[in-house]
Amino acid sequence: MTVLDRLATSQDLISPGISACVGCNVELTLRTVLKVLGPNTVLAIPPGCMGGVGVVGWDKESGAKVPVFFPLLDNTASMLAGIKLGFKARGREVNVVAFAGDGATVDAGFQALSGAAERGDRIIYICYDNEGYMNTGYQRSSSTSKGSWTSTTPVSAEGRGGKSQHRKDFPLIMAMHDLPYVATASPAYIPDLVHKLERAMEVKEGLAYIHVYNPCLTGWGIKPEESIAVSRLSVQSRFFPLWEARGRKLRLTVRVDKPVPLKEYIGRIHKFRHLDEERIDELQKLAYERYRFVEEMERMGSESDGQAS
Amino acid sequence: MSRVEVINGNMAAALAARLSRPEVIAAYPITPQTPVVEYLTQFHADGALGCQMSEVESEHSAMSILTGASLTGVRCYTATSSQGLALMYEPYFRASTLRLPIVMNIVNREMISPQTVWGGPQDSLTLRDAGWIQLYVEDNQEILDTTIQAFKISEDPDVLLPINICYDGFYLSHMTERVEVPEQAEVDAFLPPYRSRHIILDPDQPMAVDPLTNGNLLMEYRRKHMAAQQSALAVIERVDSEYAAAFGRSWGGLVDQYRAEDAEYLIVSMGSVCGAIKEAVDTMRGRGVRIGLLKIRSLRPFPRKAVLAALEGKKGFGVIDRNVSFGTGTGILYQEVRAALYSAGARFPAASFIGGLGGEDLTLELVASALECTVETVKAGKTDEAARWLVRAKKGEGR
Repeated sequence: MTVLDRLATSQDLISPGISACVGCNVELTLRTVLKVLGPNTVLAIPPGCMGGVGVVGWDKESGAKVPVFFPLLDNTASMLAGIKLGFKARGREVNVVAFAGDGATVDAGFQALSGAAERGDRIIYICYDNEGYMNTGYQRSSSTSKGSWTSTTPVSAEGRGGKSQHRKDFPLIMAMHDLPYVATASPAYIPDLVHKLERAMEVKEGLAYIHVYNPCLTGWGIKPEESIAVSRLSVQSRFFPLWEARGRKLRLTVRVDKPVPLKEYIGRIHKFRHLDEERIDELQKLAYERYRFVEEMERMGSESDGQAS
Repeated sequence: MSRVEVINGNMAAALAARLSRPEVIAAYPITPQTPVVEYLTQFHADGALGCQMSEVESEHSAMSILTGASLTGVRCYTATSSQGLALMYEPYFRASTLRLPIVMNIVNREMISPQTVWGGPQDSLTLRDAGWIQLYVEDNQEILDTTIQAFKISEDPDVLLPINICYDGFYLSHMTERVEVPEQAEVDAFLPPYRSRHIILDPDQPMAVDPLTNGNLLMEYRRKHMAAQQSALAVIERVDSEYAAAFGRSWGGLVDQYRAEDAEYLIVSMGSVCGAIKEAVDTMRGRGVRIGLLKIRSLRPFPRKAVLAALEGKKGFGVIDRNVSFGTGTGILYQEVRAALYSAGARFPAASFIGGLGGEDLTLELVASALECTVETVKAGKTDEAARWLVRAKKGEGR
C-alpha cells in the first residue's frame, strides 16, 4: 500500500467544516498529520490560523476528535511538556503534539520551545510556517521573508518598503539543540512529510521538531488553485530545502540539482510584486547560500561517519 | 509520631510539598525562594521525592508545565517570588480560570523598582484578583501545616481552584525555627490522592479544552468561579479543623486573633509582622490598654463575615500594611477591611499604616508607635484617608 492509499483509508481526526480559506495548505497539512498520528494523541493548537478556523472548537463544540486545547501563544511547548510528565507520572504512553504557527514558534513561543528542547521533553512539535500572523490579517514575524509586504511592513506607492530583514533559519536553530529528530517539510511533498512524522513518532528520548513551510494564499496573494504548485516551487527554487537531521547528522530528503530561478516562485506571489531586480537577486543569493550551507552540513555529517568507522 | 526539626521556612515548604505527594513539580529558582528548588531537586536526586520534576528555563514555563500536567489530572506543586510571579502572570491567571488545583508557595518579595531582593508581599497582593486562593502565614510551622492543608482545600470538589500559601521572604524563608514535621503515613491519612473529575486531556475521553467561547458562556464560567471562591470560605475552616483533629494544631482558618476578645482596639495585619504586633499588644496591655490583633490568613476569598464578627463591639481599628495600593493613598489590606465594613453598614474610626516595604525592618518600636497612634486616632473619632508611614530614623536626621 502506498502512502497515499494509507492516508485515504485513515480516519480524519479533524472535524469537517472548519472554516479555513479556500485551498489552504495548512488545513491539508494538519489533516495529514493527524491521520499519521492517530487517535492516541493530545493536540495543542495555539492562537493562530488553525485556532481561528475552529480546530479547537467553538463554545461547546470540538473541532477535533482527539483531546485538543488552546495553549497560550507563548507556552505551547511547556504546556505539552507538562502534559507528557502528567502521563508519565501515571505510566501512560500518548503522542503529545503541537501544531503551531510561526508566531507561536519562532517569536513568542521560542523560549518555551528552546527550553523544552534542551531538557529533552518528549513531545512532537510541528510548526506551520506561513511567514507571519496570518489569522489577524498578516502582521510580520521573524519568519517573514525580506522584502515581503505585510500589514506592519507596508509598501509605499513607489514600491519602497516591505520587511527590511531576512527571515531566521529556524529549523537549523532547532537542529543546533542536538535533537533526536528535526526535519523540514512541505505540503507539496506529502509522502516526505508522512515519512518524517513516522520518524518523529519513533523518538524515544527527547523532542522531535518538524518545520513545515506553508505559503499562505490569502495573506501572500496566491491563487487558490496554485496552492500546491507554489509550495513545490518554494522547494524547487532551493528557497526552502527539505531535510532531516538526527543530532548534527543532516540529510537532504529532496535534492534540488537543477533549481528553478527564484523569480518563478516569487513571481506568483503578490506580496513580492514591488521588488525590483536588485532585491530579487538578494533573495536569490540567500536561497543558494542557505541551500549550500545545508549541503555542507550533510557532507560534514557523512565525513564524520567515515572517521568513526 | 512527628519529629521536631530546626529548619527555615523554605525547608518547611519543601518538606510540606514532599509529604503531600505531588506527581509533577516544575520550578525555577529566584531569591528568596531558591532554596525550595534546591531542597526539592536534592530530594529528587536522593530518590526521596517520588514525582516528575522539571527544571524549567523560566517561571512562565514552570506554571505552564503545571497547567499542562494538571490538565492530565495529576497533583502539582511549585514555588516562586516577586519578579518570577510577575513573569508567570499569564499562565497564573489561566490556571485559576481553568479551575486547576495547583499549589504554589509564594515567598513574598518586594517588586522592583528600585532594584530590591528583600521581603514584602506586594508581589502576591497585586495579583489578588487573578482568581487564586491566597493564604498568608506567620511562622515556619504555619508554612508547613498550611501548605499541606492547601492541597486539600484546592482539590475540594466545591473549590477546584489553585492556591497560594504566601510567606515572607528572608524573615521566614531564611530564618530557622522549631518545626514539628509529621510522618508520611499521618499526612497520607489526612490527604487522599487527587483525581480530576471536571476537566481532562485524555485520548480515552476526548475533550476540547478552551474552545473559543462567547461572552454569554464565559460569564457563566466567571460566575461559577466567583461562587467557588465563596465556597472556599467554609472549606478553609473545615480543613483547618480536620488538620487540628489529625495533628493537634489549628491556625484559625480564615483569620486568627490574639487578645482580641475583650479588646476595645484592634490591629489588623497579616504575615510575619504579626509576631511583633503580639509583642506590642502585650506591652500595651501591661499598661492597661485593651488592644488586640486580628490576623488575616485568607486574603482571597476575603473573610468579610469573620472580619465583621471580630470588629463587633470594638471602638476602632488600625491596619498595618507591608504593601501599597497605588492610587488609593493607603495599603491594600486597609482598603479590603473598609470595603467589608461598608457591606454591613458599619462605621469605625480607623488608622492606616504602611511600613516594612522592601525588607525594611518593622521594629518593635515602630509597631508600638502604630498601636499608640491607632488608639489616639480612634479616640479622636477619625478615619484615615491616607496612610501613615512607619519609617525608621535615618542616620544624621537625629530622630
